[in-house]
Amino acid sequence: MATYIGLAVLNGLLIGLSRSLNGRLAMARGALGASFWNHLVGFGLLAVIAALGGGQELAGAVEAPVEAWLGGVLGALFVAANSFVLARLGTVRTVLLVISGQMLSGVAIDYLARGMTLAPLQLAGIAAILLGVVVARLPMPSSARQRQPG
Amino acid sequence: MMIGRLTDGLVAFGAGAFLAGMIASNSLLAERSSPVTSSLFAHGIGAVVALLLLAGWRVAVKPDVPRVTAPGWAYLGGIPGAFTVVLAAITANGPLALSGTIAFMLVGQVMFGMAADRCGFLGITQRRLEARDLVVATLVLGGSVLLVVGRQ
Repeated sequence: MATYIGLAVLNGLLIGLSRSLNGRLAMARGALGASFWNHLVGFGLLAVIAALGGGQELAGAVEAPVEAWLGGVLGALFVAANSFVLARLGTVRTVLLVISGQMLSGVAIDYLARGMTLAPLQLAGIAAILLGVVVARLPMPSSARQRQPG
Repeated sequence: MMIGRLTDGLVAFGAGAFLAGMIASNSLLAERSSPVTSSLFAHGIGAVVALLLLAGWRVAVKPDVPRVTAPGWAYLGGIPGAFTVVLAAITANGPLALSGTIAFMLVGQVMFGMAADRCGFLGITQRRLEARDLVVATLVLGGSVLLVVGRQ
């Protein structure tokens, strides 16, 4: 169990590392350029991993519905948006706002597209996240000075 | 200033929405193939889409070429990004299940963010952590755990 927890936390650290590298690249190449390089390098690495695994699953993917193919489009927009704000907001604030958007949209997808119902605990969770977003964006003179980029 | 800050926040929040949509879409593809294969396709399509958007942006806006250069390691963001898919597939199929995987991944992301801001590594502007960051982290992480655990 501890190993799996360690791997999951490590995964979160890797996501943070990936975002920071892309954010740094965006300063020189722009947010869209960073998104392009992120996907190209990731594609190369995954192609190697897939080739080592034999790549038998390709046929099943071809039959997948159209909405299953939109992930790459959304991924390109995600990396670009993330890289754009990282240097402006700082890492921790970017991460917390992205998580908020991700979790609330995830619930909306479950609720609207998959017909799931919302449990009371989940409503409390939504309220806590929204409160967090409001607190994060409240203007405060002490922090406004620090937030100037560069 | 206020408008700029609000826009940044909305873009970050919107990035999270793109991510949720990407995960939902990609998991459909993974059901038909495997986590690695679906991520491979998503990365390939993502590279093409980013390139098209980049070309469109250059034609429409004709931006000044920035005088900043990036060190070589800044191009490697795709490597930890690609490993993320593989690791998530391993932990989601273990005792943590998907919900536990998501929760601990969020914890790891916030830990990295705090360390990066505090120490200012990888060219990130060093920034003191404020009490407010801890309050926001508690609310967002706590709320996320409630969302995940409360799912029926």
